[in-house]
Amino acid sequence: MNRINWFGFIFISPVLIMVLLFFLTPVVMTAFFSFTNMSTSTGIKGGEYLINQETIKEIKKYNIQKDTIEKLENAGYSINEEGLKIISEKYKESLSNEIKSLYFGDKFSNRKDLERALKKLKKNKIKKTRDRKEIAEIFKESIINERFVSKSIFEENLIKLEINQNDREVIIKESYTGWSWTNNNFKLIYNLPSSYKFAFYTLIYVSFTLTFNVVFGLFLAISTFYLPSKTASTFRTIWFLPRILPPVLYVLMWKWFTWDTGFISQMSTYFGASPKNWMMDSPIHAWTVIVLINGFVGASFGMILFSSAIKAIPSSMLYASEVDGANRWQQIWNIIIPQLRWPIMFTTAYQTLSLLTSFEYILLATNGGPGRSTEVWALAAYHTALQNYAGNLQYGLGATYALVLVIIGIIASLFYLKFFNFKDLVTKPRIEG
Amino acid sequence: MNIKKIFIAFLITLFSFSYAVAKDVKITVWAGGTNEADYYRMEAIKMAADILTREMAIQGEEINITVEGKRDFGGWGEFKQAVTLAAEDGSAPNIVVTSHLDIAPWSQAGYIVPVEDYLDMDAWPLNDIYDNLMEIAAYNGIQYGLPQDAESRPFFFWKEYLKGIGYSDSDIDALPSKVASGDYTLANVLEDAKKAVSMGLVEEGYGFYPRVSNGPDYAQFYQSFGGELMDSASGKLLLDKASMQEFYQFFADAVAAGVTKKNHIGTDWGQWYNEVANGKAAFWHGGTWHYARYTGKEGNDDFFGTIQFTLIPAGNDRGRANTITHPLVYLVTNQNDEDLQDIASQLVKIASEPRINSLHAIESAHLGISKQQSNVGLYANDQWAAEATEVLLGSANAQPNHLQYGVFSEAMWAGLESVWTGSKSAADAVNDLESELSSKLGDDLLVR
Repeated sequence: MNRINWFGFIFISPVLIMVLLFFLTPVVMTAFFSFTNMSTSTGIKGGEYLINQETIKEIKKYNIQKDTIEKLENAGYSINEEGLKIISEKYKESLSNEIKSLYFGDKFSNRKDLERALKKLKKNKIKKTRDRKEIAEIFKESIINERFVSKSIFEENLIKLEINQNDREVIIKESYTGWSWTNNNFKLIYNLPSSYKFAFYTLIYVSFTLTFNVVFGLFLAISTFYLPSKTASTFRTIWFLPRILPPVLYVLMWKWFTWDTGFISQMSTYFGASPKNWMMDSPIHAWTVIVLINGFVGASFGMILFSSAIKAIPSSMLYASEVDGANRWQQIWNIIIPQLRWPIMFTTAYQTLSLLTSFEYILLATNGGPGRSTEVWALAAYHTALQNYAGNLQYGLGATYALVLVIIGIIASLFYLKFFNFKDLVTKPRIEG
Repeated sequence: MNIKKIFIAFLITLFSFSYAVAKDVKITVWAGGTNEADYYRMEAIKMAADILTREMAIQGEEINITVEGKRDFGGWGEFKQAVTLAAEDGSAPNIVVTSHLDIAPWSQAGYIVPVEDYLDMDAWPLNDIYDNLMEIAAYNGIQYGLPQDAESRPFFFWKEYLKGIGYSDSDIDALPSKVASGDYTLANVLEDAKKAVSMGLVEEGYGFYPRVSNGPDYAQFYQSFGGELMDSASGKLLLDKASMQEFYQFFADAVAAGVTKKNHIGTDWGQWYNEVANGKAAFWHGGTWHYARYTGKEGNDDFFGTIQFTLIPAGNDRGRANTITHPLVYLVTNQNDEDLQDIASQLVKIASEPRINSLHAIESAHLGISKQQSNVGLYANDQWAAEATEVLLGSANAQPNHLQYGVFSEAMWAGLESVWTGSKSAADAVNDLESELSSKLGDDLLVR
């Protein structure tokens, strides 16, 4: 018995690996990201410690000692024994001596001034800009604009500046450039009025597209069922086209069809109407087109599923009904549709879940427009995390949007499993029991 | 004997060959938002590599630099994703050409290193670059990058239609100065655009034909109505509600008057360029680099005879005629290799020489970055570069290098979109914008 169980695992392992890689890992990562303030500026892999003008502004908001800020702000470059010693060891003694004779005890508020001073050396000219900068750095007393890779090195430098522990903690917290844990993303989404709008649009999108998918898929399946088989398969292939066309091409064709330079407008101008962008004219236009674009893709899925289910209906039942004098409508209504109950429910469940997270056709067609009126939840997640004209992408906030979808998806799946009585569907045949 | 000779000869060749083998360095350049005409963004680095190799050879360092350029990234979004992901992965290109707005987030993340760590900022050619451009390439007082080109975003008028609604030649010539002084405002634009449509000179929706997607251009209109992007005293981003509302309202009015299309946003760029370059629209706004596209690909042979350009007109008394310059910058990425970063910095420095930069400026119809370019024949003799520099660059300002500016800019655009397409009133959109920005930016925002 045990051996057989192991075999089962071996057989199922490719699927397990796929589930792990392509479902579980992204979900776990999304959950992880959503509790961070990760963005382009924090990076992904962690951060360093850096004090710059921005950080000092932030630090000033805390209640810390005045001289701490002064120590950070005012320290510059000073020519002292310590630095000169390093120079004579690392470079030449004569260089160290010349600097000493010219500038000993001098203070420079920034590196540029010191570099200018170093350019005036006569006997020991520093030829390379890079060397001059390195030598200048040796005399640095301030830690502003310097990146420290670890907390301990950073803290050591703060201690050197004689900054007390309380202030050190504040400075360390504020000068960290990497991401940190936070639940602010959830609060933000809850508070943003736009979130509720995205949720509402998603509801519109899913319910309308789903209805179209199922009804139209059913219509195609039934109507092709009554056609001669060759004609039927031709029609099915045609209706399958939207699904097998690359999305970019498929949407481009819709644009050619609906835009003010497109087919509909061209035709309507013959009848005296002025050209009009049928996709983007108003939110209602945009929604109609989006439901159609997605609907035709989804309908083919329903069509295939329903067609094969119809074929599985024993033909004797249909013949018997015809003998009893039933017409087509009665056949459809009383025999076919009741038998399709399970495939219809399955399609509904499956499509709800995939529509919730799909946004590619909307992205390509309206990109959420006009006026963000077709910005569904998944598209908002994409825009937040991966698109920003001015650079700072908000990975954390975007992941939080995505996580909400994951949670809704899981709840919906559990509900559907219960609703369909999944256990009954997979019970072992009694004959083997 | 013979064999011995051959052997010695072989040894000598081998020796001399190995002596001559120079250190190989590969420098990659990724350029975002780069069209065909902008190839000098990468070519300039190749030229610089040649010069640097020679300079180093004279100093006794044999080095062989190969430069690889890449510019096909789809769009800005894809480019920025590519750079940030590569940087996280440790395989970033050595040099990137990108918007100056990326300096804030990328420097914070440690993706880029300051060029001032490797270059003498007091020396040629850096001491000749315009100060305001240098400032745009700096963040928190540190010089991270060098300006790669300059541009600005003018307002364009199709001369024939101006004449059609009653302007004389001298009126048209005086337009740039009337706009600059504030005598010709956006209200006049609307009025004239209405005339052009009602007189049948252009089709409905083509009176005023703006940019089709978000971009720095729209911040100009906010400034036209007195808005400021950043409060200079506190360094916070600034939402001036009155100016924002008037700016939104202007576009709503343009749509209501039938001079701008309600569903204009998202129009195909190719179609847009072709239409404005050939007189389908009366007024529009664009960038100085459009000159290359209009006169090149779109086939407008008589730019100066057909098109007049000015600053973006003021919108009200508080506002001013303005234009935003959005220079691209050369940035050097963090490679954890001082030598490589040094070489990359030297290359961008040499590429900024007036003569080399002028090649890019003229070929792609951008503006120069340094004063001496007006002494480079190629640049000085180009009518567009000379006139555009004179009319526009003096009044140009840039968007702020602020970590949260991206959030601000996207939200401002979303608000404009909703007013433009009629899904919200200007007042509602501004209130929504305020609540959105207050939650997202918190302390980084100042509302006025």
